[in-house]
Amino acid sequence: MKHSFIALIEDKCTSCMLCVRECPAWCIHLDSHTVDVTEEGARRPKKVNVLDSFEIDYSLCMYCGVCIDVCPFDALAWDEHRALVTNNREDMLLGIEELGPSGSS
Amino acid sequence: MPKSSTWEKVEPADWRSTIEELRDRGFIFFDFLTGVDQENVDGNNACEVVAHLATKDLSDSHFISTQVSGELPSITDLIPAAQWYERECTEMFGIKFIGGSTKPLLRHENLGRPPLRKSTVLAARVLTPWPGGAEPEIKEDGSKVGNASRRRQRPPGVPENWLKQ
Repeated sequence: MKHSFIALIEDKCTSCMLCVRECPAWCIHLDSHTVDVTEEGARRPKKVNVLDSFEIDYSLCMYCGVCIDVCPFDALAWDEHRALVTNNREDMLLGIEELGPSGSS
Repeated sequence: MPKSSTWEKVEPADWRSTIEELRDRGFIFFDFLTGVDQENVDGNNACEVVAHLATKDLSDSHFISTQVSGELPSITDLIPAAQWYERECTEMFGIKFIGGSTKPLLRHENLGRPPLRKSTVLAARVLTPWPGGAEPEIKEDGSKVGNASRRRQRPPGVPENWLKQ
């Protein structure tokens, strides 16, 4: 596996913020909100975090892989993609759509 | 990478003699010398200095490390190539190499504390908003949802109330 890209498997992410806090380059930005989910038979509704946005700023990322190691749900993984080569800083800010693992697109 | 490597911890007093002995035993390829900040490791504040020496054919190598508290004898008379690394180590970790060159390498002399020590606060870390401060349970207006009674998190490496006193 090439260590050329960090992919986000959106379904596994619980917005726990561990990757954001452990990132030494401060390059991950995550936004989420909580909703109440009532399960059948449960006494009280359950609080569930919903991921609104997840961005990796590849102009800051140094590919150390700390976020991948620290994720308790394996929602981040090394991938064979490559982050874009560009003259524009904003193009290096990749969101949920662009961060999907290769082959899923 | 060499086929086999040995790690060896020595006392600062034995630093020079160990390296001299290794060099004479055929470990003539000097790879690098660097510092490793040991703050909060085993409750001490020392810095470790590590050097890597290998044989010419790279079949065998030695990592030599020692705990220092500010000063270490220079090895530039044994291995002239170590000078660049010692000067870098002085700038980045604040370790003095006695008998070595005191000329600055890249940084300006009056630029403040050595940047690779954990105790050095990086000003940019204080001025940049930390992305980890957001909590899913706390709304943008500051009101809390559910049991979000936890203390607000602080970014690593930025002391509490730094710059706000």
